[in-house]
Amino acid sequence: MRAYLSAFRMRRRLEFQYRGAVLGGVVCQVFFGLILIAIYRALYAGKPQAMPLSQITSYVWLQQAFFRMLLASDPELMDKIRTGSIAYDLCRPLNLYGFYYVRIMAQKMTGSLLRAVPMLLFAFLLPEGWGLMLPASAAGLIWSLAGLLLGLLCVSALENITMGFTMRTLDSRGMQALLNLLMMILAGNILPLTLFPDSWQRVITLLPYAQLLDAPIRLYTGQTAASEAPRIILIQAAWILVLAGIGLLFWRVNQKRLEIQGG
Amino acid sequence: MNTIRLYLHSMRMLIRSQLQYPFSFFLQTLAQLVMEGGEMLAVVLLVDRFDHLNQWGAGDLYFFFGLMSVTFYLTECFGRGITGNFPYLVRTGQLDTFLLRPRGVLTQAMCSAADPRRITCIAVGIVALVIGSRLSAIQWTFAKTLLMAEAILCGCILILGLFMIEAIFSIYSVKSIELVNALTYGGRSACEYPIDTFPRPLRVLFTVLAPFALTLHVPGAVILGKPLFGWPAWAAWVSPLSGIIFFFLIRLCFRKAMRHYRSTGS
Repeated sequence: MRAYLSAFRMRRRLEFQYRGAVLGGVVCQVFFGLILIAIYRALYAGKPQAMPLSQITSYVWLQQAFFRMLLASDPELMDKIRTGSIAYDLCRPLNLYGFYYVRIMAQKMTGSLLRAVPMLLFAFLLPEGWGLMLPASAAGLIWSLAGLLLGLLCVSALENITMGFTMRTLDSRGMQALLNLLMMILAGNILPLTLFPDSWQRVITLLPYAQLLDAPIRLYTGQTAASEAPRIILIQAAWILVLAGIGLLFWRVNQKRLEIQGG
Repeated sequence: MNTIRLYLHSMRMLIRSQLQYPFSFFLQTLAQLVMEGGEMLAVVLLVDRFDHLNQWGAGDLYFFFGLMSVTFYLTECFGRGITGNFPYLVRTGQLDTFLLRPRGVLTQAMCSAADPRRITCIAVGIVALVIGSRLSAIQWTFAKTLLMAEAILCGCILILGLFMIEAIFSIYSVKSIELVNALTYGGRSACEYPIDTFPRPLRVLFTVLAPFALTLHVPGAVILGKPLFGWPAWAAWVSPLSGIIFFFLIRLCFRKAMRHYRSTGS
């Protein structure tokens, strides 16, 4: 366990080194957030919805802030497989899946927190109807933080399945791009899941992609009442177990047929 | 004329070279389709929920979305040398070889790369244009077709100009600055919707500074029969030219930057 913890810590420290690069990314992300909110505001002016506008703006900001949690991947693994230095990783007295799981988790967590803190501070300062509103209730906030942590576990498990495809073919850019796009759409990054047709939402919110950010955001904005939170947490936990199980099996099969390249 | 022949020849070779890896090409093209399809899906779902945006109905919104997709991805497809590769050319010092040849740097950069994977994005844009024009019952005339062609052409030139800002920055600072692209990609995402969607600061930004509205929205609105800003119809023929003016202004800066260019060496 301690070995995994130190792998996690090292990766976190590495990601923390790129603080300078973060600023440009944050400004870009804020600009995109403002554009999206302007569009939704104009749409709302024409035909107000049952769900208040402030919930949509909060949703947009939280999605933009934790964007990095969805789209951060470990480019080293692909290189390691291509060059054959994956052999060193196989020598470690650790489970290969577990080792990469904690690494990707550290990367996603640090990368998104570095961006989320300044962005959310900025979004809080914006006036109502543009900015991020306060959480619906104290209980909602606590539940949503728990949900976010589970979402992180869930997205790391998903990422490891994507990486499993990388191990199969040497060039998996196409596959990776496809899976990532599916995630962006079904996680609510391109369009808030709350704006999908209501009948679709009943299905989409049960999919693993909705557990990453959509579920915690709904707990934050109060769209999911705090009394319903245990049910949401249970769904998230179930998906983590399923996805990690699939990933673990997938990696074990891959590891058996892995060829060490190079020399 | 010789330059154009040279360009077309390079494009043919570049596209053929990418088709040498058919499976990888197919998957990456498919990924582009999903990406642009996802963007289109967002517009469809928004229209489904909200019916209209200001005075624009469903068909009008699809039409504007298609206009932007076709324009932006045509530029990325055929201008890849400037839209993607230029900072790389500077960083690796490959730009030096361009300076030795008897052609302009921009011409050679344009000839250096193509991105045929974008073809599916363009296809999505065309589908959006067709659906939009059906739903909005546009009466197509020769003049309207010509106006749309002008808008798309000037839009492409404008987007090339915007990407050249990044090229200029890459000459001064070898580290690439993603911030510069906020205007370009932000402009694409925003101006998929007509300009009157936005509050004043954004409207000024995308009309005066990066004139997406003048090149695409003003003619688009005239084609749809709902002129923007209450401008007369002839204005739609003049306003796209702002894209060309923008391009030439940036080109002046580019000339200046090239004089500053120091090779990264070795």
